[in-house]
Amino acid sequence: MSTLPKRVFTRRRLLNTGVTAAVVLPGLSGALKAQAREVVLYNWDSYIDPETIPAFQEETGIRVRYDLFASNDELFAKLRAGNPGYDVVFPSNDWVARMIAADMLMPLDHDRIPNLANIMPRFMDPRHDPGRAHSVPYFWGTVGLGYRQSVASPTSWGAIYTDETHAGRIAVQREIDTLLAGLKYLGYSINTTDPDEIEEAVQLLLRAKAGFKTFAPDTGQDLLLSREVDLALEYNGDVLQVMQEDDDLSFVVPEEGTILWEDDMVVPRGAPHVEEAHAFIDFVHDAENNARIAEWVMYPTPNAAAKELLPQEIVDNPAIFPPDAVLDRSEFALYQGEEIQQMRNDAMTRVLAG
Amino acid sequence: MLRRGPPPAPLDYTRRWWLRAWLALTFVFLYAPIAILVLFSFNDSRRNIVWQGFTLDYYVKAANNVSLLEAFSNSLVIAALSTVISVVLGGLLALALYRFRFPGRPAVEAANQLPIVVPEICMGVALLVFFAEVGWPRGLPWPLSLSNIVAGHVAFSFPFVAVVVRARLAGFDRAQEEASRDLGASEWQTFRRVTLPYMRPGLIAGGLLAMTLSLDDFVITFFTSGPDTLTFPVKVYSMVRFGATPEVNAASTVLIAITIALTVVAMRLQAPPKAGA
Amino acid sequence: MQSWREQPAAFFVFILPATLWLLAFFLIPLALIWVISFGERVGPVDIAFTWTLANYLDALDPLYLKLFWRSLWIAAVATAVVLVVAFPVAFAIAFAPPRAKPLLLLLVVLPFWTNMLIRTYAMLAVLRGNGYLNWTLEGLWEATRLLLTPIGLGWLTGERFVPLELLYNNTAVVFGIVYVYLPFMVLPLYASLERLDRSLLEASLDLGASQLRTLFAVVVPMARPGIVSGLMLVFIPAIGTFLISDLLGGPDSQLLGNIIERQFKAANNWPLGAAMSFLLLYVAFALLLVRAWLGARGLRDA
Repeated sequence: MSTLPKRVFTRRRLLNTGVTAAVVLPGLSGALKAQAREVVLYNWDSYIDPETIPAFQEETGIRVRYDLFASNDELFAKLRAGNPGYDVVFPSNDWVARMIAADMLMPLDHDRIPNLANIMPRFMDPRHDPGRAHSVPYFWGTVGLGYRQSVASPTSWGAIYTDETHAGRIAVQREIDTLLAGLKYLGYSINTTDPDEIEEAVQLLLRAKAGFKTFAPDTGQDLLLSREVDLALEYNGDVLQVMQEDDDLSFVVPEEGTILWEDDMVVPRGAPHVEEAHAFIDFVHDAENNARIAEWVMYPTPNAAAKELLPQEIVDNPAIFPPDAVLDRSEFALYQGEEIQQMRNDAMTRVLAG
Repeated sequence: MLRRGPPPAPLDYTRRWWLRAWLALTFVFLYAPIAILVLFSFNDSRRNIVWQGFTLDYYVKAANNVSLLEAFSNSLVIAALSTVISVVLGGLLALALYRFRFPGRPAVEAANQLPIVVPEICMGVALLVFFAEVGWPRGLPWPLSLSNIVAGHVAFSFPFVAVVVRARLAGFDRAQEEASRDLGASEWQTFRRVTLPYMRPGLIAGGLLAMTLSLDDFVITFFTSGPDTLTFPVKVYSMVRFGATPEVNAASTVLIAITIALTVVAMRLQAPPKAGA
Repeated sequence: MQSWREQPAAFFVFILPATLWLLAFFLIPLALIWVISFGERVGPVDIAFTWTLANYLDALDPLYLKLFWRSLWIAAVATAVVLVVAFPVAFAIAFAPPRAKPLLLLLVVLPFWTNMLIRTYAMLAVLRGNGYLNWTLEGLWEATRLLLTPIGLGWLTGERFVPLELLYNNTAVVFGIVYVYLPFMVLPLYASLERLDRSLLEASLDLGASQLRTLFAVVVPMARPGIVSGLMLVFIPAIGTFLISDLLGGPDSQLLGNIIERQFKAANNWPLGAAMSFLLLYVAFALLLVRAWLGARGLRDA
């Protein structure tokens, strides 16, 4: 194939003249690293408003590289073998606990994060990271039922687990939250270690399975919007996003209570820019910055000072800031060691495969 | 019977209406989602599930999304490198298996087909662990930073090329090679003028396959890439999980347009005068 | 076929690059996972290498075997469909005028250069309950109704249009596999059909055989290497697929690939994931070995 080298050459030439800036910069950045300060973030998509990063770069002179991941378990699997160069990562609470247990995180220097003072005391000493030694909360939220108001008005988890009215028009998550919500419906704690209680939940789900349209991989809200389903077990923020496009959709946290979750900012071991990482975390919790992000992502913020600055309609929206009565009945999922996790995951696998 | 033009000869299959219909139907089947994909890149809706209106905003957004562009160019470069290396490795392997007897032949053949069989996630994790254990250097300047991704892509692509080329070689008449040698040509000349041209359709088909595998790979690329090596499928995957905004469709449409353009150029450059190929 | 000793230089040039690459970037990484399959988890990331068979025993749980069987079945059906769809396509391209061939090949492969995830989302838009396919069918239904009502046959079409439930079931998964793996069958088929000796076909037709008979008696046997290759490139990877069943499948569509994926990610159980992957690999390797060995024997006898 004597013409092969020509083919490659032509491709490279075209690419080089075409996309020079985006392509040359990374190569140069190695040489310029000594001069430019940089921080590398690894976050969920659509989880920060478009103005914050440029504002941070302007205020501090630190360049930001922003990379995206799609799920906690992928993140963990990738970081397990070593940190490929991320400074700030945004895992969820139970995975933060796992990372702490696996010694994957750097302890944080609270002196470098003065804006921690803005955070509500309720969030400053969580069970998954006592004293916030390794993490700073970013946003938190609930799991609940998204629904189409004109055809459904659920108040309990029974609407998807025992009620047959909407059979075949229900989407649940492919993740373990579906099982945990089942535990809540049965009146048990989502962190129970009692095998009988877990088994009861498995049986409940296996019976309810006939009414599920699908185990959606994070797409429950899309199915609601496209009218494939009338009820969807989903995160509050996801449902809020589709509510903006369709007035007929709404969100409710069932009366039995629900699973609370929290996404944290952590600094994995081996992070190349520790000081810059702290600067970014501090920047995010400045009251004004945080309020701006919160308004955009539509998740409840743990930052008290920022909450003061939010418009009333967001603060009063029960889909964003659930009422205390609901919070009292809801729990965070705890990481209780690999064996318990194994038991829970096996239970979920049985529900999926059975 | 009245027909447009002369009736198809017995072997003129492509002119038969039923074959053409089948071909057309298949292409409709293949391209319907693509057409929707392109159409929805103009959709004025953040979640992009239902058509809301026409806009070019998302093309603008995509063009301004520096990391998306970077992921773009990375993916194209990786695909190009991977395809070239895979075609070479796969073609050579096919020749070896076709031509030579050697001890342990079935085992070597089967081993080289394992990458086709292995679950992708297993291979992704294997490469992750391997590169970590071996201490593969990180933070290399571009394009060396793509080296581990390319290595992985080649590893799972060249067996596909080998399989396709072997299928092609299975019909090769060795008498042609012998005739060439009898007429005084050297081994190398025989190879270049007799064997290689015969292999060409197989190599092209294999190359197209390798390119497809590389451009669309998510799992293995996810586990071998880092913050300085963004690739398109991984980037899209993480964006799409939280709302397939039209931006992603726009980027995909542009990627496909660029790839078509580049391939057409490559094929033009490659096509020698068709004298009895 | 000659012995390697007759031309050792050529032999090594041909075989070494691929084999060394395979060794370095496939076999050795895989060996690391193989060791993990005999390990035990201690804590969230550490694995103790105790050379235990517990993971393999866990992997042979009847629940997983049931999934394996389901995956085999779906993959087999999908592969058969792919073969039927791809054969005429490859045939048409092989017999097309030489200038059209590269273009047609490109057209076949092109859709697969779009990102699979977005393509699948687009497919969802086409196939879902109120998607474009059903929208078209509904339009046809209404048109039919409009035509039949004046002549009193309106009742034939029924009360309401019932959209086709094409998604979230195993049919959708088969459909998805066919869609994703089509080029993997078309390309090897094309490669082997391309070299088909036209004179044989002509001879067959001259001798009075019908087109169909010629197809089955002459074309298919000669395209066999391509068919076998295509089957291998489609069937085996299809068993391990997970993304398609994730997005298009229903509650009963969990496949082996999904479960293996879970072990490496959500369940964080690498030893079990490794054991399951290797069980699949042992079986596949055995099949490949048998095929390679039979192939070698056949050639020697020929």
